[in-house]
This record gives sequence, structure tokens and C-alpha cells, in this order.
Amino acid sequence: MNMKHNNEQLLAGLPSFFKEMVETPVAEAVAAQVAQIKMPEMNRRSFMKLTGLAGGGLVLGGMSVGASKKAFAQAGDDVATLSAYVQIKPDGRITLFSKNPECGQGIKTGLPLIIAEELDCAWADVDVVQADVDAAKYGGNQFAGGSLSTPMNWMTMRQAGATARAMILAAAAKQLGIAQAELTTSDTKVLHADSGREWSYGEFAEMAATMPVPAVETLVLKEQSAFKLLGRRWTGVDNHGIVTGKPLFGADTVLPNMVYATYTKAAQIGAIPTSFNEEHIKSMPGVVDAFIIDQFQDPRMFSPANGAMFAGVAIVASSTWAAIKAKRELEVVWDTTNAETATWDDLVARATAAADQDGAELMVTAFGPNGPSSSPASKGDAPAALASAAKVVTGFYEYPYVSHAQLEPETTTALFQDGKIEIWAPAQIPQGGEGGAAALLGLAPENSTLHMTRIGGGFGRKLANDFVFEAAAIARRMEGRPVKLQWTREDDMMHDYFRPGGFHSYKAGLDADGKLIAFQDHFFTSTGNGTGPMTSADLSPNVFPMDVLANVKLTQTLFQNAIPTGPMRAPGSNALAFSFQSFMHELAVASGKDHVQFMLDTLGDEGPAENPQGMHRGRAAGVIKAVAEMAGWGNELPAGRALGLSFYFCHSGYVAQVADVEVRANKEVKVHKVYAAADFGFIHNLSAAENQLEGGIIDGLSQLFYGKITFNNGVVQQQNFHQYPLLRMPQTPALETKFIVQGDFPPSGGGEPSMPPLLAAVTNAIFNASGERARKMPLSDLGYKLV
Amino acid sequence: MATLQVNGQTMDIGDIDPSTPLLWVLRDTIGLVGTKYGCGIAQCGACTVHMNGAPVRSCQIPVGNLTNEAITTIEGLASADGALTAVQQAWIDEDVAQCGYCQAGQIMSATALLKNNPNPSDADIDAAMSGNICRCATYTRIKRAIKVAAGTASSTAFYNAAEAVEGERA
Repeated sequence: MNMKHNNEQLLAGLPSFFKEMVETPVAEAVAAQVAQIKMPEMNRRSFMKLTGLAGGGLVLGGMSVGASKKAFAQAGDDVATLSAYVQIKPDGRITLFSKNPECGQGIKTGLPLIIAEELDCAWADVDVVQADVDAAKYGGNQFAGGSLSTPMNWMTMRQAGATARAMILAAAAKQLGIAQAELTTSDTKVLHADSGREWSYGEFAEMAATMPVPAVETLVLKEQSAFKLLGRRWTGVDNHGIVTGKPLFGADTVLPNMVYATYTKAAQIGAIPTSFNEEHIKSMPGVVDAFIIDQFQDPRMFSPANGAMFAGVAIVASSTWAAIKAKRELEVVWDTTNAETATWDDLVARATAAADQDGAELMVTAFGPNGPSSSPASKGDAPAALASAAKVVTGFYEYPYVSHAQLEPETTTALFQDGKIEIWAPAQIPQGGEGGAAALLGLAPENSTLHMTRIGGGFGRKLANDFVFEAAAIARRMEGRPVKLQWTREDDMMHDYFRPGGFHSYKAGLDADGKLIAFQDHFFTSTGNGTGPMTSADLSPNVFPMDVLANVKLTQTLFQNAIPTGPMRAPGSNALAFSFQSFMHELAVASGKDHVQFMLDTLGDEGPAENPQGMHRGRAAGVIKAVAEMAGWGNELPAGRALGLSFYFCHSGYVAQVADVEVRANKEVKVHKVYAAADFGFIHNLSAAENQLEGGIIDGLSQLFYGKITFNNGVVQQQNFHQYPLLRMPQTPALETKFIVQGDFPPSGGGEPSMPPLLAAVTNAIFNASGERARKMPLSDLGYKLV
Repeated sequence: MATLQVNGQTMDIGDIDPSTPLLWVLRDTIGLVGTKYGCGIAQCGACTVHMNGAPVRSCQIPVGNLTNEAITTIEGLASADGALTAVQQAWIDEDVAQCGYCQAGQIMSATALLKNNPNPSDADIDAAMSGNICRCATYTRIKRAIKVAAGTASSTAFYNAAEAVEGERA
């Protein structure tokens, strides 16, 4: 299979904020790492400078190029650092550094597993340590987003492991006086078959540090069939710490002499505090200080690296409770001159009223050799094709704003001292937090340091670093004392970068044979700057089925509304999959064809898409056929119960799902079971991949039935879980998942593509069971109740 | 000088505001940060601890209301030599956690369930666990881990198990 093809898909899927955020352009790094186009050559001089033997151990310079901005950790007198990723102790114990943030996707286990495979060590000999943020050592892409943690590191991790193994083998040959060709490795040991002798890697650690670093092109990577670790189930490396309550998460940071802070922003988004009952607040027990902090940059726009934060009132106290108690007695005078005034119900009314009209031509921006250029997203002649259609189908779909609702509310600990800021944060883009804090405080970048903690749920919320910047600003004021900022759940729910709501007015045409020949969408979304949609509020013309059709017309209406929005698990797709795939089923029903057959007919030729950035039709068809077989598609079910199908392609992943749903009296819905077939390429930790797929399905079900944030004159109306329910165990359906591999594709990430198909799988099943079409999320708004 | 009985030890909590919820006393005063803050209104269960063996929401219990109750937190489950309980071990073997933030509360609820009902049905498990939200949605694995701890389901136990391969899990 064509690796370049898949790589271009990855590049196409990258949100622009990732590109802007990192020092090393993500696109370039992904190109190098995933497509194996060209790895950066190890710079030997910088390598020698970075390495250096620490006591009886081995230090191997990183895969990164150029000098490190920080000294390598050479803590152990007996630790050999083979690279930025690998340390070996004389007893053979191995420490592997995991470079990307862990937010529940399993990457702190997954990346070291890849290294360990090529290092040829036993997993039981490995200790995993979360790496610090260091672009020079780790190449810049230390973020958790876009389902990219595995694909963008896959080849780098393999090469890191193979490099260390090669140096150990060379050292062993030299130390033992045996030709290297006679030596092999297995389970953290060097083996000599001729003599039957074996030695721990630890015996050669010190010598290995003096070996030349092999050129990348000389590395021999394992064939997949030789993998010993990858492809199996592995439990997470932090699991023992999790089940025993060890301090792993952001809020678990404890520093000597620490104080605790809350930060209160206006309920009306964007209002500015002018004064507050300062005397009373400061007189409350435990309160150390209270003060207003000004807005920085434009925090309504999702911008994780520029220090943007809303104005608010900070309360610093001797305990979290003292700070929360004082927060409850805050009386603030707010200047609402420039605050948001949007009301969700108004947007619903305006979109509904304009459903039969066209919007403005939807334009798409392409980046070419001469810079960006804008062109219409429409193609072919959809109006003409519709005029000739045997059947025309229309449908108006609505989905609301939703909250990330990650269970760990935003929190950061920060210390400003000696002109430097040091931060401990559960950040999905830690580099943005580090750089943005420097920008906010007017510091040189090298005077800002961020330590990654485990993230207690991200889902995209902690791609934004507003809470990191708030903590930095408070710490600046409390110079010399560490400050732990703790958001309340109410802070979190009212001040999210929400998944934006939107509306689609579809019109599509079928020919006399029931073939889909034309597609129109009038898309209604929100804008902050008046020219383009808010973050994650845009419509890509590559959404299936538009990507495989010849006649597509896309128009757009923008509502002025800068309620903050940002990426949430499967940005865009997490809503588009609901409306597009529900409407696809409407078309299938109108065509008189079986839904599976209609999907396969629409996909057409099962070869790669003409557009190299697009979906591979064969892989798409493969997961649809697989899930149909798993679910017994076509079998009879009891009255009131039916199967529903949905498919979605995003983040280079292909997932089809079938929901087995019963619709009872009074719109009670029982989801008995969900089947899922996924193609994410090679699966290197089956347990983690399965966790992502299962979690995505239930996340989708929760959003489908319950998820809805509304705002009234710029004030978010939901504050906590009693107003924003999440699915609980009794409503959880049985799950059957399957990963299929359809060719030699590198791994893609599973966190995001696992969720979107669920939405329409259930709405389509509801239609098949009851004849009623749900065109609005959440389903609770239509009277449905999940039981 | 107020004291609390936590994990079998008498803890001096000093001159503390009696309205302080047990959650924040555990986290800020005693330094046991395994118990988590999720919502503050007893909706999510992340702060679940045991009081005299029963699961309670520590965000709802003012410390001033406590006298000599025995409080057990996630840190107090394993024995002094570090041996894990069956529930803790099952959580590892089933790789239950995704982000892991809710799991201390989940484990405390599950532990209390099994103490009173060593062989719970699916409905028993649903009822006992319905107060604990897992935003990552690990419910399927939580339920399985409870059954493994109860001895009514076989363990996946794939950690260090070289023979564990795709599709072999029962």
C-alpha cells in the first residue's frame, strides 16, 4: 500500500492550531515520521555534546537534532542514558521516556511499548517516566490531539528503540571480543548462539554510551511478524498508581508553602470585572489575597499558545475550601459593554426560518505553492442534477453546543520565582502552555517551564490552556509562593470552549435506479470575526458522501456569536456524523434499497479515492461489510426492535457501527447492543485501542441522548451534572468490537474516529424500529428517554 | 485540636473550619490526594470514600459533623505490605482505566458492594455503581472487573502474560 497516501491524509486532518502551535511544523514532522520519507540525520557533534557518561551508565543522545535547551537528566550515578528516550542501569533495568501527554488514550503505555519492541527488551524490565516538555529533545510534537499521538511517533519510537539496541550490540561485540554478527538479542539480553552464553543489557550499558550512533538508514527494523510485544493486550503503566491513589493528576501536585486559588469570571461571557467586595473577601478566614486580573489577548477565540485568558477575580487562600467559600460570597461589578449577547433559541429560530433558502457560497481555502487561495466548495451542477432526479429528499437537522465535561475540572499549579515561571499542568498542548505563559508574563521563553501531569480527561478541553495562563497570572502576583488553581465544576461548565452547535438543510436527488446523484447542504454556523466560522464550527466539503459525488452544492449562513468554541473528540465529525449519516439513511429508505447496499453503491469503486487526502473507499466498504456480518444484518428482530447502521471516516480511521435498539411505549429507548468494526491500521496495544473504541461508542450515546448546552444573552445555562447528565452504567449497552486490518497501513489513532458513527447508528435504528426520524440532538429534546 | 480516623490512623487536622468538606480535608490538610473532586454536589462519585465501611460522598460531609467515624480512602485499601485487594488487582488486570480520574471513587463503590454482596448480579452492580460517572465510559470494564474480583468471571490478566494474544479473551 502507498504510505504517502496515508500520510497526506494525516496532514489534511491537522487543525490549523496545531500547525501554528509548535516550533517544528507538525506537518513536516508528521511527514518525516509517518511516511518514512526522511528522518532527520543525527547530528554527531550535538550528540556527543548531549551525551556523556554518568557514572557506570549509558547516555544516548536523542533522535532530535540540534542542541538541547535543557541539560539531559543525569540523575543517576549509575544510569546510562542511551537517548532522550532510553536509559539503562547496570542491573539491566530500563527506563523509557514517554514524550506525549497521557489523557486516557493510553499513550504513556503505547509509545514506550513501541520503543521496547525494537529495543528487544522484556516489558517487565521497563519503567516508564513521563518526559518533560523539550522541543529540542523530542522534536516539538508533544501534544495529545487529533488522534495523532501514535501515528506521528510510530516510526520515531521504533527508530529510538532500534538505535539503542544497535549501540548495545556494538558495545557487546567490543567488550566481549566477539564479532557483532554472531550476537543477537532477546528479552533485555545479548545472546551468543555459538557458545550458548547470554548477558544482560546492563553489562554493556557503559560501553554502549561510547559507541557511534548508527545512521538512521542503517537501522534494521523488525518485520511485523517478529513483533513480540506489539499487537497484544497490555495494561496501562499507571494502573497500579491509579488503583492505590498515587498523586498522578494535575490537582495532585503538592509543593511546600503552597496556597490555593479560585478564579471567577463573568457568567456573561466576556464581561469585565471593575470592582468587587474586596474588603469582605479579604476578611474571610483563610483568605490570603484577592485581586482582579485583566483579560489578555482575545480568549473567546480558541488559541492555546498565546496566553489568552478572560478577566476575572482571583482569590488566594490557605486551602481549596477557604478559596471556594470566599468565591461564593464574591460580589462583582461587571462591565458588560463588550460581552456576548447571543441566545441559542434565537439561532434555532433564525436557522429554522431560513431552512428553505440558500446561504452564501461556501468557500474553502487551499494552501498551494503561491500561498493560500480560496475557491467555492461546490462542484459539478447539483441544481441541474436535482432537476433531473427521479426523487428529491430534504431534511433539516439541528445539533446543540455541548460541554467536554471531562471529569477533572481545570487545575494548574504554578510558582513564579527569580523571574521564572514553573508550571505543573494537565495540558494537552503543554508547549502552548509553556510558551503562552511566557507571553502572558512578558518572560523570555526559556524562563517558562511546564511539567506534564497525567490528564484527568481531556476530550479536547485541555487543548486550550486558559486555565494554565490563569494560574501563571495568579502565581506572578503571589511571587515566591506556589499556587494551586482549582476550577469548580460550575467554572468548567460555564467557561468551556464548547463543541459548537449547528444546522444543516439538506436536499439530495436519486435517479430512477435509486442512485445518489446530487447533494446540497445549507449550513448554519457561528462566527466571531464575521468572516469565517468559529473553531471547529466549519464544514469540510470532504465529508462522506460529498467526497464521492460529482454534483455538490454547499452554502453557508454565519451567525455573529463568539461564545467560545474549540475542538472536542472528533471535532466537526462529532456532529456532522449525526446529520450526514442520518440523512444518508433517509436517502437509502427513499431509494428502496437496503441501507448496507445503498452505502456500498454510493461508495462505488472500492479502490483508493481519487483525492489522495480523502477516504479509501475499499477500507470504508470493508468496515461496513464487517459490521453488517457481526450484527447479523438482515435477520428478523422482535417487533419494536431494529438494527441501525452508520459509517464515518475521520482522523485516518474507518469505523462502522450497528446499533440494536428497541423503542418502547412513551419513547423509551433501550439500546441493547452496539457492534463496531474499525480499521485503524496496525493495532499495537489491543487493550488501549479497544478502550478507545468502547469509550467512543458510549460517549456518543451520552451526547446523543443528553448533551446540550444553551446560552441566554451570553450566559451559559448549565452549571453542573444535574443539568448536564452523562450516561451511567445502567444505560450502557452490550458492546462487540472488532479491529480489521486491510492492507499495510501504518497505525492511525482510535480516540476520535470511534465516536461519530454511534450517533446515526442509533437514530437510524430508531427509525427502523418505529418509523420516526430524529433530526435533532439531543434526543431528550424530542421526548426520547434512554433506559 | 481536631482529629480524624483515616485508614486506621488518628490524624491531627488542627484548627479547621468545621464546614470544610471531608474531601478537602483529605486532600489539602492530610495530603491524601487519591480522593478526587469532580462536581462538589454528589453527582459524580469521584470523591467516594468509606465511612464505617459504607460508601459516602466526601464532598458532602462537613468535617465538623465527624467524631470518631472510621474513614477509609483509596490509599487505605491495600494492606500495609502493599498487597492489593481483589478489586484493585482486577482493575489492573482488566485495564479498566482510561484517564483514571474517576477510578478511585469507582473502586471504593465496588469494594463496598462486594463486601455486602459477594456475588452481585448485573442489576446489583448497575444499582451500586450508578452514582459513579466515568466520562471516559469504562463501564463495561468496570462491570467485568467487579465480576473478576467476585470470582464470577475469568481474569484477562494480560500484563506480563506472553501468551495473551488478540481474540483470546473470554
